[in-house]
Amino acid sequence: MDDEESLHRFGTPLPTLEKDVVPAKKPLAIEDQIVKDENGKRRFHGAFTGGFSAGFWNTVGSLEGWTPQTFKSSRAEKATPRMQQRPEDFMDKEDLGEFGIAPQGIRTREEFSKESEEEQRTGQRKRKLMQPEQVGPIPGVPVLEHLLRPVRDKVAMRILKSMGWKPGQGVGPRQTKKEKRQANARNKREQYLLEHYGAEGLPSLEQQQIAAVEKGGGDDDDDDEEDEDITFAPDDYEPIFYTPKENRFGMSYSGLSRDPILSKSSSAHPAAPMQHINLFGQLETQPKQKQLSIRGQAFGVGAFEEEDDDIYARDDMTRYDFSLADKKPKQKKIQHVQQRHVIDGFSEDKSGAALQKPYAIDLPRDFKPRNWLQRRTRFEPMDRERTKKLEARIEYKRTGLGRHDLNPDQRAQLLGEQKSQKKDQQPEQPPSRNPFKDRNKLMDLINAKSEGFTKGGLIVDEVLPQAETVAETQTTATAMAKQVKEANATIQEKAVFKTKDLASAAPSGGFKPFLADEAKQLRYDTFLEAQLKTDAEITEFLANMQPVTLSLWDREMEKKEFIQAAKIYRPLNGLMYDRFVSEATVQAEHIKEQQKPPEERKVVMERTKAMWKPASLLCKRYNIAEPFGGSMLEPPKELKGRPKISIFDYLETSINSKADFQTPTIRPKHMEKPKPAVLVPPPLAPLPPPDAVAPEKEKPAQKKGEEPAAVKPSFVPRTPLEQAVDESREKPISEKKDLFRSIFEDSDEEEPVPVATPAITSLSTPQEKLAAINEALGLPSTSGASASSLNVLRNNSPPRGIFAALFKPIEELKPKEAPAPPKFAPIEGNKLKIAYKSREERLRNDKELAMAQVPVEDIYGPKLPEKGAPAKTQAPETDHVEVGIEAKLQHLWQKHAPKKRSAEKWVEKKALSTDDSDSDSSSDTSSSCSASSPAKAKKTKVSKSKKSSHRSASSKKSKKSEKKSKKKAKSKKSSDRSKPKAKKKKSKH
Amino acid sequence: MPAFANYHCKTTIDCQQGAVRAVRYNVDGSYCLSCGSDKKVKLWNPATGLLLKTYGGHADEVTDVAGSCDSSYIVSSSLDKSIIYWDVSTGTPVRRLRCHAGGVRCVCFNEDSSIAISGGRDNVVMCWDIRTRRLDPVQVMKDARDCITTVLTNENKIYAASLDGCIRHYDIRVGEMICDKIGEPITYLARTQDEQCLVAGCQDSVVRLIDCETGGLLSEYKGHQADDYHIECGILANDAHIVAGSSAGDAYIWDLLEGKVLQRIRISDNGGVVHSLATHPSRSEELLFARRRDMYVFTTDLQIEEEQL
Repeated sequence: MDDEESLHRFGTPLPTLEKDVVPAKKPLAIEDQIVKDENGKRRFHGAFTGGFSAGFWNTVGSLEGWTPQTFKSSRAEKATPRMQQRPEDFMDKEDLGEFGIAPQGIRTREEFSKESEEEQRTGQRKRKLMQPEQVGPIPGVPVLEHLLRPVRDKVAMRILKSMGWKPGQGVGPRQTKKEKRQANARNKREQYLLEHYGAEGLPSLEQQQIAAVEKGGGDDDDDDEEDEDITFAPDDYEPIFYTPKENRFGMSYSGLSRDPILSKSSSAHPAAPMQHINLFGQLETQPKQKQLSIRGQAFGVGAFEEEDDDIYARDDMTRYDFSLADKKPKQKKIQHVQQRHVIDGFSEDKSGAALQKPYAIDLPRDFKPRNWLQRRTRFEPMDRERTKKLEARIEYKRTGLGRHDLNPDQRAQLLGEQKSQKKDQQPEQPPSRNPFKDRNKLMDLINAKSEGFTKGGLIVDEVLPQAETVAETQTTATAMAKQVKEANATIQEKAVFKTKDLASAAPSGGFKPFLADEAKQLRYDTFLEAQLKTDAEITEFLANMQPVTLSLWDREMEKKEFIQAAKIYRPLNGLMYDRFVSEATVQAEHIKEQQKPPEERKVVMERTKAMWKPASLLCKRYNIAEPFGGSMLEPPKELKGRPKISIFDYLETSINSKADFQTPTIRPKHMEKPKPAVLVPPPLAPLPPPDAVAPEKEKPAQKKGEEPAAVKPSFVPRTPLEQAVDESREKPISEKKDLFRSIFEDSDEEEPVPVATPAITSLSTPQEKLAAINEALGLPSTSGASASSLNVLRNNSPPRGIFAALFKPIEELKPKEAPAPPKFAPIEGNKLKIAYKSREERLRNDKELAMAQVPVEDIYGPKLPEKGAPAKTQAPETDHVEVGIEAKLQHLWQKHAPKKRSAEKWVEKKALSTDDSDSDSSSDTSSSCSASSPAKAKKTKVSKSKKSSHRSASSKKSKKSEKKSKKKAKSKKSSDRSKPKAKKKKSKH
Repeated sequence: MPAFANYHCKTTIDCQQGAVRAVRYNVDGSYCLSCGSDKKVKLWNPATGLLLKTYGGHADEVTDVAGSCDSSYIVSSSLDKSIIYWDVSTGTPVRRLRCHAGGVRCVCFNEDSSIAISGGRDNVVMCWDIRTRRLDPVQVMKDARDCITTVLTNENKIYAASLDGCIRHYDIRVGEMICDKIGEPITYLARTQDEQCLVAGCQDSVVRLIDCETGGLLSEYKGHQADDYHIECGILANDAHIVAGSSAGDAYIWDLLEGKVLQRIRISDNGGVVHSLATHPSRSEELLFARRRDMYVFTTDLQIEEEQL
């Protein structure tokens, strides 16, 4: 007590507990109810087991809530390939524990623990109850069975199991209850009988017994009526023997009347219905006996319930009936499947193909197959023919390939046998063949031929054994072998000879349409050989051969037949010869062709030329000026610069191709610059009257002005050069050189122009002189022409109609009087397209181009009245003078009017092209004043040839003059030419 | 006329590029080029048989090759419808030009190598401005009616031989196209050094000498077998001998004037078509032949002969 008192007390002590008072338990709120496992950890029921208290606050989920699975993958961190989800992913740790649904601890394997095996097999614990009680002296499971357990079943057991057998069941088809009962009884009885009576007395006794059992069992019939479909595995029993199969059903097929008891019963009770009715009664009893134990497992077990183990018990839905109707067929189906003892991996053959039976055909005794397509004559029985054939065949076989032609002595000699050895002489069979028959029967021959060949092949085999036997007798094996070889060789030779004979015989015969009638066939053959043409000949020929017995009609028929047959059955080399050729002939022909030297083909060189416009860039890269200054017309379809085909190309070419537009590619500006110099009157020529000169000057200006107002859409050459160029388009390239030449020579010939100035003195009138001087000095003319040059709109065209009549005299006079060599003679044709001319014309033209200085057109200036006011106002007095001059000139013209000029006429522009040459020639004559035109032409030619000699060889060659072409022709004789050429080359090097 | 000396094989080069489709000398004949069916072009030293460079980049067999005038570029044509402009030293393709609609058969440079001219199975001759980056042809000549087998050029003309049996001269200076029709498919065209004549190898196993100016047939050379092969011909640098391959594994040399066979060069005893050849641009003593996978250098040098003996 002192101790206690001395102690200090701190705090307030708990109230002392009264002994009887128990502290009141507070009922736990739902949210406080937490399930804990054996370790005190909170238990979470997984997705599979989800109970009433599962999850957070008895809900599915957790405090954090339910989060779906996420998938995240980035370039840096690649998501691992989707793992296969396993059931473990959805399980708790507890599930994997020892007592969980998927324990992972170390346990006894199922095959070593009996209970587990059972459970595994049945899947249900209650199946344990279905295990048959084992009857033995000692109740319970035998002790030894506990101790010693085979790990694996025997093979037979396993097979049976795979077929649906379970330990404790009997083997055999499933039985209805009644059947089972009957079988049971029968088994017992049989066993009993066997024990007591043995196998002999069984049938009769059995029947009696069975009948008795049937009677006894008949009581149940009514009850078991419905039980037909519910089958059971048969009880296990000791099979005693097997009855032989008596019925024709398929293997393991059990028909309805299989059971002998039922058949018995039906016989015993004639009024009793069929088996199924009996069984029908069985069904009624079934509901009473069978109780489907449906327990509340399907709804799960609460976490607090003790029967936690059964949560995972599988409750198969097939155990429930969903309707009354579909029960029957379903069960039947199962039964059917079960009745067929099909091993896993095999399936039943449903095709039934194996059942098809090959039928043995019963042929009539005297049936002989025959080819009905084969023709034969009406009267001939086939049999004889066949026998003949057969005979022939056999005969041939018999005669063999010459082996039988040898007599035994010869044979012995061949084989090296002693004559004394064997004397069993076979009756000799000479080849008594009917040669006619043999030769004539094609089929026979073919058969024989094939046989012969096979025989030939066989000969060696046949002989070799002989050789072996002989070798035994003979001492020297080598000598023997040689002999054998020789023998073989001779035999084979003979065989070859025979077969060759056959082969040659076959085609000679051809078709034998009348084989049946030998005589007829013979006649036919001779008929064929005769090769008669006319009808009369044939009749005569046949009449000689045909027997007298033949009627006239028959003869006629035969003739027709023969002719027909000859047509149809022509021998192979008649009908088919023209269609088929043997390989050898083909080859031979081929070789012949090859050997034949290739025919000399004459190579004729052809040269054609065409315009081709090189691309400007190409010219640039080649460092060559573009031909024609790049003014060549592009070929219409050229896709230059855009090789990719565009749809617009086609549009362009189809609708408005470039060729349709004739643009003046050469601008007159360039060409007119030299004009002033050109206008200077040529030497030794009387100056044209000033009024004639004036228009010359104004002309270019006018032309310029005229251009926009051009009536013609097409390009009209204005200057001679233009004209020439224009002309050259149509010309071949070689002739363009003329043009160039003319261009270049123009400049040369312009040189004498200054010299021409003294000629002014010869001018008739002071006005002319003045004008000429002015011209020479490049001063504007004082005449009205200068004024008119201002008139841009002046019509420069040659006068027509009245004007033509008016000015004709002057114009025509002038060339004579003032034969100023026109610089560009064909200027009047400027506005024309000059058509292609002959070479002479062109030469002349060239000449003109060279000589022409003053356009003829310009000479007839006096369009002055048209010029209008400005000209008049400027120089009224000159006008007056002009009139006077005009009158004079007119007068002069009328005096001297040359005859040949009369032809020249001014006509409409378009028609002028034909007059062109005329005017040219006239201008020529006028320029020369002395020489007649043919002489002139000659002269030009000469001068030309001179010029050409100076020119480069290439241009010379490319000319197309006749002369040149002749030269070419010469040069084409290559052998002559090539040599000097080569020499030239040599000298080069 | 220079005396003819027989040719002897100096070097045999196994090109190791499949079948050799063409052999060509460069501009001065110091190097040679071979085109292979393995899509490669190889540059060789013909004297030593040394492989200098391989140019790979074509997508199909290379059919022809030409070196530029400064030997710094190569242009090659291929059945892949393109031509490639190569840099010789680096071996890289500078430009690849595709416009042909068919395989390109032949290619050449103009004199200053500013224009490459190609002819192909699409019957078209194309001129390429190869120095610029222009990828379109400068000019396209579509006159031929069959495959172009050879294109040649000089300072003002372009020659194109075609299987339609025509030689077409495109005269840039005059602006005209001259078509010389032989009538036999022309498999190859060569030109004499003096540019006066053309040597046309025809399909009918005849080599024809044609006058450029007149288009006349000057001579014919026969004896070899062309069969159906693209047999090439050539004229030696001295303009005195004509050479052509043959399908029977040999080559023929004719006298230009007399047209008789001077030498039948047996290149191989076991066949093989001698389809391509190249004549040295300046030395008439050197020849190149192509047969199967090999390239043969032939020469008349006696030293070699002695060495061989």
